[in-house]
Amino acid sequence: MSSKTGKRPMHSAAWRISCWATVAFALGTLVVFVFLHRFVADDIQRRSDAWLSGEIGVLGDVAQRTPNNALYGRVVGEVAELAAREVPNKSSKSSSNTSVFFLQAGQDGSLKLWVGAGDGEATLAAIRSAKIPPDRPTDLRVQGFPIPFRVACIQIGDGSHIYLGLSERDELRVLNKLRLRFFLLSLSLVLLGFGIVFFTTRRMLSHVREIAEAASRIGLSDLHARVPTTRRNDEVSHLAHTLNRMLDRIESSVHQLHTITDSLAHDLRSPLTAIRGKLEMSLPAVADEEHAESIVSAIEELDRLNDFLNKSLDVAEARADALRLTRTETDLRELLRVMIDLYEPSMSEKGLRVRLRCDAEVKVNADTALLHRMIANLLDNELKHLPLACSVTVEARAAEDAALLIFEDNGPGFDPEVLQRLFDRRVKGRDSNGHGLGLAFVDAVARAHGGTVAASNREGGGARIVITLPIAPADQAHSAVQSIAGSR
Amino acid sequence: MRLLLVEDEIDIQSFLRRSLEEAGYGVEAACDGRTAERLAIENPFDLLIVDLGLPDQDGIGLILRLRELGVRAPVMILSARRSVDDRVRGLEQGGDDYLTKPFALAELLARLRNLLKRNRPSTAEATRLRVLDLELDLLRREATRAGHPLQLTQQEFVLLEYLCRNAGRVVTRSMILDQVWGMRIQPDTNVVDVHIYRLRGKVDGAGQQSLIRTMRGVGYVLKDR
Repeated sequence: MSSKTGKRPMHSAAWRISCWATVAFALGTLVVFVFLHRFVADDIQRRSDAWLSGEIGVLGDVAQRTPNNALYGRVVGEVAELAAREVPNKSSKSSSNTSVFFLQAGQDGSLKLWVGAGDGEATLAAIRSAKIPPDRPTDLRVQGFPIPFRVACIQIGDGSHIYLGLSERDELRVLNKLRLRFFLLSLSLVLLGFGIVFFTTRRMLSHVREIAEAASRIGLSDLHARVPTTRRNDEVSHLAHTLNRMLDRIESSVHQLHTITDSLAHDLRSPLTAIRGKLEMSLPAVADEEHAESIVSAIEELDRLNDFLNKSLDVAEARADALRLTRTETDLRELLRVMIDLYEPSMSEKGLRVRLRCDAEVKVNADTALLHRMIANLLDNELKHLPLACSVTVEARAAEDAALLIFEDNGPGFDPEVLQRLFDRRVKGRDSNGHGLGLAFVDAVARAHGGTVAASNREGGGARIVITLPIAPADQAHSAVQSIAGSR
Repeated sequence: MRLLLVEDEIDIQSFLRRSLEEAGYGVEAACDGRTAERLAIENPFDLLIVDLGLPDQDGIGLILRLRELGVRAPVMILSARRSVDDRVRGLEQGGDDYLTKPFALAELLARLRNLLKRNRPSTAEATRLRVLDLELDLLRREATRAGHPLQLTQQEFVLLEYLCRNAGRVVTRSMILDQVWGMRIQPDTNVVDVHIYRLRGKVDGAGQQSLIRTMRGVGYVLKDR
């Protein structure tokens, strides 16, 4: 059973469930990450903005107080360098710090002082076109630098602007690292989750499948067997227990039906036995030919009555899916060969021909005694109803998952009036003297084996009856039922 | 031959007892399991006939109990039930036999004889059967009547062999179907009769004494006198 699941996991419910679960899980994780990412990014920016605001204040203060002489550039430059050193400069190997710049622009917009990598012209151009507001830091893209700067601005007493820029490189590096780690971590989590969901649901569903398979086998063969149960107290084991309780009830009502038919049979058969025995005993004593004849015909009537009783009860039980079967593996070809041997002389005596068409053996797991009676019924029908010089072909072959048993003749076919109700009880042709149970019995036997019967008139004339019987199951399926039954 | 008949239906019991006595058996009868058990322990019987539906207990239970108590006689099981119990099949494999009601007396008597024969120490199996001037060579599968070979099919030979083994006794159609074709069916056509007619045509030639006789309503008998 599990091998069956293993073959095509993509088609299993477990696969679908795990896919959906994984999608939901991945989406959920993504939402969480988006929030986390925004939170971290905002926090980093807030910190750098705070640093920028603080430093720009200090620098503005220094710039304002330092006398505007030749030393001004050196003093303010020193302070800016000091501030820049607070920022770790991981990426650049050179001594000059590329992650921070200080720029003082004069009232006319000319470059007054520059501390940072390069000559600062590109930065000044960018600042001019961007219009940095003085109250809060803003992003600034500078030509030649792939990563934008965060720039704070302050106006000092002499009307010049001081700009302090901090590269967003570190922030981006932190966020990138966060994204990569999150991606790897969530990927492994999602895969792990998929695996866990897939294997647990598959295990659970394989249990459901076992239950379903066992239940369908029980329906076909053995009402004593039960579906497998587990000790766990989940829905699946609840299902198994519920099914088993249902089977208990079915078994008990079937048992009750058997009790009824048994006692009915017993109550009718006992007097039949006594009457038949007494008639038989009186037979040798009767010298009168005419009297003997009437006793003989009474015995024959009794036998017919008994046959009718048996068939009626069989049909009734089969209608209730309660016919008792003793299954053995049987070769239909051999069985048909023997039966046709038995019927052939009577057929040819009536000018009928009978032929068996069967190339290979056809194994079915069936109740041989019932098959004998079913086929005898069909052959009796042909024998009774076919006109002279007709022929009957009996064919047996194995189709995909069923054995086919086909009876064909070239007689007058079925009366269209009765064709629809052919397998009902007590339906018979206008000139039939039978009790009308024959085909109902055939139907009953086929159904009890899990098969079907279909009757039709052939196009060229003649009747055709097709019986399907389930082919003998593989040994393992059969032994599985046995082991389930045995484990109880 | 002494046999114990365990049957609760008085009607059936009385006619069975009569016909069994006519057939030469000494019959003791019991109506319930307790009496049967007591009788079977007190007296050695050659054969037991047990009906499955007894008022005080199940017939199979009685048989198994008697087996436990050391009663070794073969058992003929009579059943009015619809299906053959697995336990009955078990007993059948163990050498006992069963018959469903209603049955032909001839069949019951034939099966009783078989049971007794089966359980007697076996003598060497005969390779030739002889009934009057009819002779069957079981090894070469050949039959002769008054020295003239009979052209029989395989099936006809088996049928004739069965009749010969029961020569002088009635065999019913259902016995023939069971023993020769291996099936318990009740065809409502004359399939068995036609086989017998054909066989008779070959065995009873012109001017010869007719060996195969029809007992109407009962079956057939191969005359041995």
